[in-house]
Amino acid sequence: MNSLLEVQGISVSFDGFRAINNLSFVIGCPEMRAVIGPNGAGKTTFMDIVTGKTRPDTGSVRWGETGRSLLALSEAEIAQVGVGRKFQRPTVFEDQSVWDNLRVSLKKPRGPIAALFDRVTEADRARIDEIAAEIGLSDHLDRPAGILSHGQKQWLEIGMLLAQDPRLLLVDEPAAGMTTEEREHTTALLKRLAQSHAVVVVEHDMEFVRRLECRVTVLHEGSVLAEGSLDHVMADERVIEVYLGR
Amino acid sequence: MERSIFARNPSVPIFIGVLTLLALGVTVMSEAYGTGAISVSFTKVLGMTLCLCLAALAMDLVWGYCGILSLGHFAFFGLGGYGIGMWLMTARTEDVVRANLMGGVIPPTEAEVSDATAAQIFSVVGATDWPWMWAASGSLVLSLLLVVLVPGVLALVFGWLAFRSRVTGVYLSILTQAMTLALSLYLFQNDTGLRGNNGLSGLQNIPGLDTVGQDRISIWFFWASAAALGLAYVGAVWLVSGKFGNIIRGIRDDEQRVRFLGYRVEAYKLFVFTLSGVICGIAGALYYPQAGIVNPDEIAPIASIYLAVWVAIGGRGRLYGAVIGAAAVSLLSTYFTGGRAPDIDLGIYTIEWVDWWPVLLGLGFVLVTLFAPKGLGGLVDYIVRKDRA
Ligand SMILES: Nc1ncnc2c1ncn2[C@@H]1O[C@H](COP(=O)(O)OP(=O)(O)OP(=O)(O)O)[C@@H](O)[C@H]1O
Ligand SMILES: [Mg+2]
Repeated sequence: MNSLLEVQGISVSFDGFRAINNLSFVIGCPEMRAVIGPNGAGKTTFMDIVTGKTRPDTGSVRWGETGRSLLALSEAEIAQVGVGRKFQRPTVFEDQSVWDNLRVSLKKPRGPIAALFDRVTEADRARIDEIAAEIGLSDHLDRPAGILSHGQKQWLEIGMLLAQDPRLLLVDEPAAGMTTEEREHTTALLKRLAQSHAVVVVEHDMEFVRRLECRVTVLHEGSVLAEGSLDHVMADERVIEVYLGR
Repeated sequence: MERSIFARNPSVPIFIGVLTLLALGVTVMSEAYGTGAISVSFTKVLGMTLCLCLAALAMDLVWGYCGILSLGHFAFFGLGGYGIGMWLMTARTEDVVRANLMGGVIPPTEAEVSDATAAQIFSVVGATDWPWMWAASGSLVLSLLLVVLVPGVLALVFGWLAFRSRVTGVYLSILTQAMTLALSLYLFQNDTGLRGNNGLSGLQNIPGLDTVGQDRISIWFFWASAAALGLAYVGAVWLVSGKFGNIIRGIRDDEQRVRFLGYRVEAYKLFVFTLSGVICGIAGALYYPQAGIVNPDEIAPIASIYLAVWVAIGGRGRLYGAVIGAAAVSLLSTYFTGGRAPDIDLGIYTIEWVDWWPVLLGLGFVLVTLFAPKGLGGLVDYIVRKDRA
């Protein structure tokens, strides 16, 4: 298993506050990783750095077999090399139909001219239908995304991530606002994806994390506190102190 | 689901139908081809209104669909006018000069004609030589190219600088205001080669059409303006109906999200901004021969703000809304400020509409915002939907 993403010693400060402090993180492909940590630990900021939204003050972010640096790339270029993201707060294009949301996400050429002359092929149509079935929105394709429930928006965003077909999926709190049944469905989906992709899941719900059956990285105050199986990190004194003991 | 743009956008056949009816109606009532119920000057007003509608359409693409509130698009409109104006003025003046010189014993040389033409055009600013920017003014084809290229290149360069630095929102609007202000101040100077505050005049005289009266020329320009608007409408609908439209609306609502999908937001913004600049240039090139004169006042910052107001009143993001808004407001403006509206004598005070028109416009703006937040176009949607129900 080769490493797909290698983050080395990154730090970032906001107005003097160190949100990320000398953080290192490696994930291979295929691999599933859960990232846990208390509120404000820097989980979302970590994803911001990998996707190019926030620039770290120090450190390196390397990608793929060639180990090219992601720090020199724009958000769009990082997405194009194969990093996909689901946001903590569901962000879909509310004004547009579910179908249109999925269509713009589909993995196809990203330039303006290509978009102007884009035709929906049979394959595109089939893929959208397949994703819609997966995310349970088959009956909602023509509805504007804005009127979906919170949980449905979560699903739509997961669908958009699937449509993008990235190599690395950064999934920030996917289960929020979902029913127990939906959570089970999400775990199953993520586990299936992790057979051929690198998947990083941020989640507060421990039951959810347990069902993922994967390595766990615990973040605290912007650094990695512990890493290993869930039982292993849960047994760690410091983890108990900062995270579970509260 | 993907359907033909006509099915997705029933406004296309309606829009083209209404435009055709309007063109037919004006033609049968024109002085040149019909009853003469519509005067030449009113034909010109209507033709010019269609050009303003075209500019508003471009404004809706860039603002209503892509979320870029440009308050500088009239600069492109004015530049289009200057582009065609240089050719009109040169060719026309040259004809006049040639006719005058023909009286002499020896036929004039080309150099003499050229010198005399330049002297005639630039005497108002105390110059006699051709400025470099008039280099293309001898050729209609080159001038038409300028109409497209000058606004296009300006929009491209400006947009590239602004979008690359991720200037958005109010800051971008201010920057576009600065652009149009700078351009108009530059043109106001006498030594820039475009006749300073005199601008270019006599543009209603089309070279080679001396024997054709203004009655016919006015209706021809009206047709051309209607055709341009119709074509642009279909093109704009096509542009916003496909995936490209989904992406730019995504940029309007959440540009960061679009970036994370792998789209280079700057490239899309630049594309729309430049395209709309070019459309405005073409609209200006059709407008000013009907207006007869273009001067730096035309591209004062307020003009671009009006353009945004028309689109806001008409309703953003629905194309026909912008057209309705521009037509309604600019026609009313002509009515009230053109001395057509009778002043109201209240005894102690006389309401002169020329002064009160801005107040009326402001009031209208507030009313539309309060009672029809989606603009006049939104009102149309409402009525149409009610009919169907
Ligand atoms: N753009 C920013 N400007 C200032 N402070 C920021 C910014 N982004 C994040 N922070 C701060 O950095 C810290 C880490 O935030 P982050 O969102 O990464 O936490 P998190 O682990 O995702 O928390 P949660 O579990 O609540 O989502 C917080 O204290 C937050 O206030
Ligand atoms: Mg977070």
